[in-house]
Amino acid sequence: MNDLPKQKETTLSFEKIKKDILHPMQNHKGLELWIVFLITVISVCGWAYYIQLKEGLGVTGMRDYVSWGLYIANFVFFVAVSLVGMLISSILGLLRIDWITPISRIAEIIAVAFVAVAGLVIVLDMGRPDRVLNVMIHGRFQSPILWDVTVITTYLTVSALLLILPMIPDLAICKKELTKASPIMKKLYNILSLGYINTPEQHKHLHKMIRTLMVLIVPIGLAIHTVTSWLFAATLRNGWDTTIFGPYFVAGAFVAGSAALIIAMYFFRVNYRLQDYITDLQFDKMGKLLVAVCLVYLYFNLNEFLVPGYKMKTGDDVHLKELFYGNWAIMFWASQLLGNIIPIILLVNKKFRKPLPIMIISLFVLAGAWFKRYVIVIPTMLHPHLPIQNVPENFVHYYPSAIEISVTVLSFALVLLIITVLSKIFPVVPIVETAESKGIEVKIDA
Amino acid sequence: MKNTIKNIAALFLIFVFSGSIANAQGWTVPNSAKKKQNPYEATSKNISSGKKIYNLHCKSCHGDPTMANMIPLAPVAPTDLGSQNFLVQSDGEIYYKVNKGQGAMPTFEKTISDEDKWMVITFLRSFDKNKKMKQQVAEVKNPEVTDVKFELNVNEADKTMLAKLSGVTKKGKRVGLQGIEMSFLVKRSFGYLDVSGEDPYTNESGDVQIQFPKDLPGDREGQVNMLVKVTDDAFYGKLEEKRVVTLGVPTDPVNPLDERAMWGTRANAPIWIIVTFVGGVLAIWSVIFLVLFQMIKLPKLAKNKD
Ligand code: HEC
Repeated sequence: MNDLPKQKETTLSFEKIKKDILHPMQNHKGLELWIVFLITVISVCGWAYYIQLKEGLGVTGMRDYVSWGLYIANFVFFVAVSLVGMLISSILGLLRIDWITPISRIAEIIAVAFVAVAGLVIVLDMGRPDRVLNVMIHGRFQSPILWDVTVITTYLTVSALLLILPMIPDLAICKKELTKASPIMKKLYNILSLGYINTPEQHKHLHKMIRTLMVLIVPIGLAIHTVTSWLFAATLRNGWDTTIFGPYFVAGAFVAGSAALIIAMYFFRVNYRLQDYITDLQFDKMGKLLVAVCLVYLYFNLNEFLVPGYKMKTGDDVHLKELFYGNWAIMFWASQLLGNIIPIILLVNKKFRKPLPIMIISLFVLAGAWFKRYVIVIPTMLHPHLPIQNVPENFVHYYPSAIEISVTVLSFALVLLIITVLSKIFPVVPIVETAESKGIEVKIDA
Repeated sequence: MKNTIKNIAALFLIFVFSGSIANAQGWTVPNSAKKKQNPYEATSKNISSGKKIYNLHCKSCHGDPTMANMIPLAPVAPTDLGSQNFLVQSDGEIYYKVNKGQGAMPTFEKTISDEDKWMVITFLRSFDKNKKMKQQVAEVKNPEVTDVKFELNVNEADKTMLAKLSGVTKKGKRVGLQGIEMSFLVKRSFGYLDVSGEDPYTNESGDVQIQFPKDLPGDREGQVNMLVKVTDDAFYGKLEEKRVVTLGVPTDPVNPLDERAMWGTRANAPIWIIVTFVGGVLAIWSVIFLVLFQMIKLPKLAKNKD
């Protein structure tokens, strides 16, 4: 399997790499259509949000018991996916694993898009979004909500920097090569490339900055998802009141993020014709990585459910029975089996780590991850601490309303739009790094 | 023909009626239990303590006896325990039901004492029109009076309180009213604390004296808000007096919000959490600003080459 790419390597020149990677950015008809489609979806669903804004949160399915519904489950999912940036470009990057070179930028784009919209989802979940700044102004240091807001802003900043900084040499190339680009884009390339012409000093200086950020983002990345888990674990509610929630969420985030990255890799490979760069090797390695993180996650799930399931403590028992064979059983077992166990079994097989099969498996993993968040958030909310009698029927059930679903679709469309736009204005595969990793000489003119 | 219709209608009525009864009272009470007798007499004292217990444990569902203002629970609503339909049951039967419970009706076997249950039954029985005579025999008779007054005397030295209830008879003479229950209540954070003691009934001269608890915390000066009243408005209407008395133990109030704690305001956050949060944010963001600052250097490094 490895002889094929090797053969091609010899034919690659710096000019060809530049052409292969830059060409689809400007000459891709379907892309504009796709962007128009996304904007349409966003506008239609934006109308749903307008209704929510006007009428208040009563138009959602959320009531006194379930006050964290679809939005928060979706928020946790977005935060989870965004963690792939830290996993790929930082942890694996610091370990100097070389096969990540062509996919690290995609990982970083996913991270930026998902974490940015995750923050927005919280605002969408607010009845009075005009008061969002109060979280900062009146926030209490004791509140995990303040920590979460802080950590997400920080992660977004560092992820954006980690997207831009390694891209500076490529932007210098864009500035030269993309002659057809609009004046605004030219200006953007000009500013962001920071006069980079690949002098040895610049190269050294740039890589020092990048390495600093790569180290810095590890604790921030851990913090972002750990703190998100503390939003739940810092309460006494059954199902949330557990000590392993932090690492459990981080492990789950690696699963969701890796799956999202594989799907994105597949689409860029096919649509941007990047078969020579995002090769079978990358899919094979990502498949192995996905198995590894899935196994870790499985281990955490075992701890999270087997141990309380063995004890069946009062309070926990109601919750666990609901998950194991009650109202939530289908969602719970589907997310465990289709989103974790079966993918592990399939992906240990080399055949399934080919691009198309692994992409399809990743879709299941990603959907499983989404439903898993739903199962973490809502069933627990349905069991309030105090038994309250004679509450309205709609307190004790939760079904997201059409408005809620539309606004959630909006958030997905927004993520896809950000990813699409970023990949239209920036090269998705690092040009200079790819050339360097193949030992091809890099020339950037002043 | 006419008779047949009548008969059918009667049968129908009986059917509907018995059906509804069976629905509302799917209780099975053993015969032995039905025979149980109430060991307590229907004195006004017992009735009034039964009323207190009723108000505490039963009223929330059953409402006021005879008023039919129970909460509408489904499928079976609580019975009006003052209605004559209900009171045809024997004391033993009611006692059994209170002990066992059924559906939304809780079991009170362990939650309230036997004596208290019998007191409640005594109280309920006082609404029974067929037994009214018996009850009135037991009751203390006060002369008919007008202009009922009640005075309150507080002795701060030995922490006692004396209430005197009197009224003017037809002959124009002011006499003490006997056997009336008084309530001595102290206002606390959530509702009132009853400090009436065991026997808060007026004596022959209309007096009742109670000992205020020696260890009850008051405010900084030892002041507490008292509410003294005739327990049952039914006798002479609403008679009550509110007074601030200095009988409590002087106490400096502690506001849990004043200390540094997890539940405190932002200004009262625990030091370690402020330090961790602010320190973490400062550390991370100074590195970020350092990197941003370094970016400015990048264009300059290009010029070095020339
Ligand atoms: C949580 C609400 C609730 C409370 C508190 C409650 N009950 Fe009931 N009770 C009910 C309901 C509901 C029924 C009707 C049950 C049935 O018939 O299935 C009932 C039925 C009864 C019955 C039988 C009525 C009949 O028709 O024979 C008695 C007697 C009774 N309650 C006494 C009491 C007493 C005494 C107390 C207080 C010590 C009390 N209940 C407190 C809800 C309550």
